[in-house]
Amino acid sequence: MSEVLSDIAEPPRRRFELEETGFKEVPKKWRRFYRHWQGPGDVLAPNEVICPVCKVVIRSTREFRVGDKVYCMPCMTRMVIVERDDGGLVAHVSY
Amino acid sequence: MADDFEPHSLDQDAFLSEVHSFEFWFQAVEGYLSDRPYGHREDMPDDPDSITNRDGLVTILCNYCVGEMAALEASSGMVRLAPNNHSRIFMATQVADEARHLEVFEHRLVDLGVDDPEVEVARRANPQIVEFKRRLLALVDDGDWEAAVFAQNVLLETMEYTVFRHHAKTADPVTAETLEGVISDERRHLGFGENDVGRRLAQDRSGNARLLDVRRDLDPLVLGVFDAVFDDLSVPSVERPRLGREYLDAVERLGLTA
Repeated sequence: MSEVLSDIAEPPRRRFELEETGFKEVPKKWRRFYRHWQGPGDVLAPNEVICPVCKVVIRSTREFRVGDKVYCMPCMTRMVIVERDDGGLVAHVSY
Repeated sequence: MADDFEPHSLDQDAFLSEVHSFEFWFQAVEGYLSDRPYGHREDMPDDPDSITNRDGLVTILCNYCVGEMAALEASSGMVRLAPNNHSRIFMATQVADEARHLEVFEHRLVDLGVDDPEVEVARRANPQIVEFKRRLLALVDDGDWEAAVFAQNVLLETMEYTVFRHHAKTADPVTAETLEGVISDERRHLGFGENDVGRRLAQDRSGNARLLDVRRDLDPLVLGVFDAVFDDLSVPSVERPRLGREYLDAVERLGLTA
């Protein structure tokens, strides 16, 4: 389904302003798209998923939905967003 | 560049071209290493005499040095084996990373009172990490890129990543900051390995059986090193399965399970 049709069928995606959080492991222009996981007590926003390979938090300017492609630049991994059994979204590595 | 442009919009070739580039590496390491000669800020307070089990830390760092020497020698040989320029350039950046790791760990050994790190590393090295190094270099000498990437960038790097992350949480401040910079580098190395091997196996599963053999050959050594380092770090036995799980996750994602 095209993004236009998808947006008709589903509520519009929420947009997010991203700011740098101190993550410095990629060139400056990409830094706001990643942050370190803070451990127990940290919570993922709708525009965030954890990279299963290197455990960095990957961020987007829009909320994630099933089928979205995401890249983890710190570890060079390509992923697709999938739905867990409990309805939550996770990133699944796609070589 | 438009305000809403983000990395996830890149096509895969553009993404790989960006993250494997020397320029990406240079700007990344500049971000977290520029103010840290020898891996830590120069003005950090450091009192080696107050470190609990300082002799144990020397042994641990000696074994880290063997791992880094293995990766330095192997990755420099792998520059020549790389199948394309993206991989060749990336592997060259890894050579620089591994040389830095060896240097900062040796520097830390000197901080801790070791007169000659090379002699001390040879004296204290765990035989299993030494044997892992020998077998890894044999794969490189055979010209076997796929097996060498798997052994080095998946098995060795994932082991180091797991151990270093755990150690950084309990180490003295200078050792911890030194480890954090190494961990940032290791993310690139293990990710490159898993994705390179994963893309190859996705196109042709015939390499699966051969890599499983490599895993069977090296797994006992990796697990032996894990146990030895966890003993040196006094990791409680109840925590070890969770840490071992991080190592197993990578090979399981690649479908390389017995």
